[in-house]
Amino acid sequence: MAAAGSLRRAGWRLWRGRAVVRCQLYSPQRALQASAVLRRVSDEQKEPLASSFQQQFDSHPTDHQPEQKPHGPRPSYTGQGGQESEDYESEEQLQHRILTAALEFVPEHGWTAEAIAEGAKTLGLSVAAAGMFHSDGSELILHFVSQCNTKLSELLEQEQKLVQLGKAEKKSTDQFLRDAVEARLRMLIPYIEKWPQALSILLLPHNIPSSLNLLTSMIDDIWQYAGDQSTDFNWYTRRAVLTGIYNTTELVMMQDSSPDFEDTWRFLENRVADAMNMSDTANQVQSTGEAVVQGLMGAAVTVSNAEISRAVRAKLFLFPSVVNVSMFFLPNLEDSMEKNCLS
Amino acid sequence: MAAAAAAVGPAVRRSLGQRRPLPCGAGRGSGLRGRWPLPAGGVSLRPCSTRATLEGINKPVIDRIIRVDHAGEYGANRIYAGQMAVLGRSSLGPIIQQMWNQEKDHLKKFNELMVAYRVRPTVLLPFWNVAGFVLGAGSALLGKKGAMACTVAIEESISDHYNSQIRTLMEEDPEKYKELLQIIKQFRDDEREHHDIGLEHDAEMAPAYSVLKTAIQLGCKAAIFLSERI
Repeated sequence: MAAAGSLRRAGWRLWRGRAVVRCQLYSPQRALQASAVLRRVSDEQKEPLASSFQQQFDSHPTDHQPEQKPHGPRPSYTGQGGQESEDYESEEQLQHRILTAALEFVPEHGWTAEAIAEGAKTLGLSVAAAGMFHSDGSELILHFVSQCNTKLSELLEQEQKLVQLGKAEKKSTDQFLRDAVEARLRMLIPYIEKWPQALSILLLPHNIPSSLNLLTSMIDDIWQYAGDQSTDFNWYTRRAVLTGIYNTTELVMMQDSSPDFEDTWRFLENRVADAMNMSDTANQVQSTGEAVVQGLMGAAVTVSNAEISRAVRAKLFLFPSVVNVSMFFLPNLEDSMEKNCLS
Repeated sequence: MAAAAAAVGPAVRRSLGQRRPLPCGAGRGSGLRGRWPLPAGGVSLRPCSTRATLEGINKPVIDRIIRVDHAGEYGANRIYAGQMAVLGRSSLGPIIQQMWNQEKDHLKKFNELMVAYRVRPTVLLPFWNVAGFVLGAGSALLGKKGAMACTVAIEESISDHYNSQIRTLMEEDPEKYKELLQIIKQFRDDEREHHDIGLEHDAEMAPAYSVLKTAIQLGCKAAIFLSERI
């Protein structure tokens, strides 16, 4: 009895979720598919469907507006993972399970609805469950990317813990970035054959907001763990540079046929080194510029002093001031030369 | 349909825990965009100390507040720098310097908050850098009273702005945002003090005081609007 009630709630949730999230044009189709899914689920549970089904459909004509509160509890979009009891799950969790199961069929079928259908089959659901998703496989790819980003975050978190506990050395920034990007790109290796297809799907207009969101949050995570604490325009520069590095390395990886993608990692190393050099050079330019400005201001003050005072006093002041002014230049020149020799 | 999505949006977003909430406004949660950042299970994966401050807060609101306040303090810093460049050697020098030092403290505090709450700074920072300095120097070139008039206008804008932020946070949840509220209240009091100092030093006797004040406050409103969003 409780199972029937929970089935009804699950069905309602699926139904309501569909109406809210998808265009209402799809509703009648979804009802059929949702019922098909339900049928499979209920077959496993060995419960008579008819009564609960009837009740589910009876509730629809009266409750067609998605904004209205359902008879049962609201969809479990709660922070506790959405699981309100053990014997049923939220629609979101169901979709996660299907997509995760579908991933193993991707090397064979590509990022398509077929892979999702196969995944649904392994979970014992009807093939029609793939109808819950877009036909171009977008959600499968986004799910995969989101999963990879999560795994990367966990990895970086663990490394940070080790460093904090003193069990590991703190890496230099360029080493850290290299390792993080490499770790993230290695997660693509099992799906590398079909990844170009995925990339092109992610560039479709309706996917761009989500894929951009995932990309930016991943890059932000990497910088966060790399210890970036900038609060000025550097915040943007660093993220833009790392995004460029990541994207170009990903593209190189698609074309790479060397053993264990050695060429890709070497490319990555060079790009990160370039980025570090760029920031060094920018710093040097800035400090030299500041020195020049200081020198000019010092010279201006000196010259104005010289004009006000008599010629004799000017002679006495000029010489130390000129030496003073040239002192501004020399230290910075030395520093820049040192840096150039070392790099 | 949009209303439904809007109703679901905040609920979905809250359930995302702290996994990178969307940079979009509160009314636009589409189902697809809302779903992807959620890791299976919805549990926060970041028990480290900076994350601790992020549990259960209304990230979009806090993001905006910290971003715009940071931009404001940064701008105020530059305005006082501009005023000091012109009036530094006059009798007003020490007073402006003192107010400038307080603004520097404010900026430092907001830098810390920005890192703690993982807020992105506004893209317009380089612009506020230049515009602030120009405003400060420009108003100082109008004389000491002009500089004080600029200070009065700015500080009045800022304290009104802080007041509305305090109201927003109090409406949300005074307990959760206690620390932030305290900081903003303190800063609001400081800015009010600057405003009073400005009035004491004959700001109202500045040339075209009301025009100047209105123009500067209009500029402030625009700056606040932009910095919150961009």
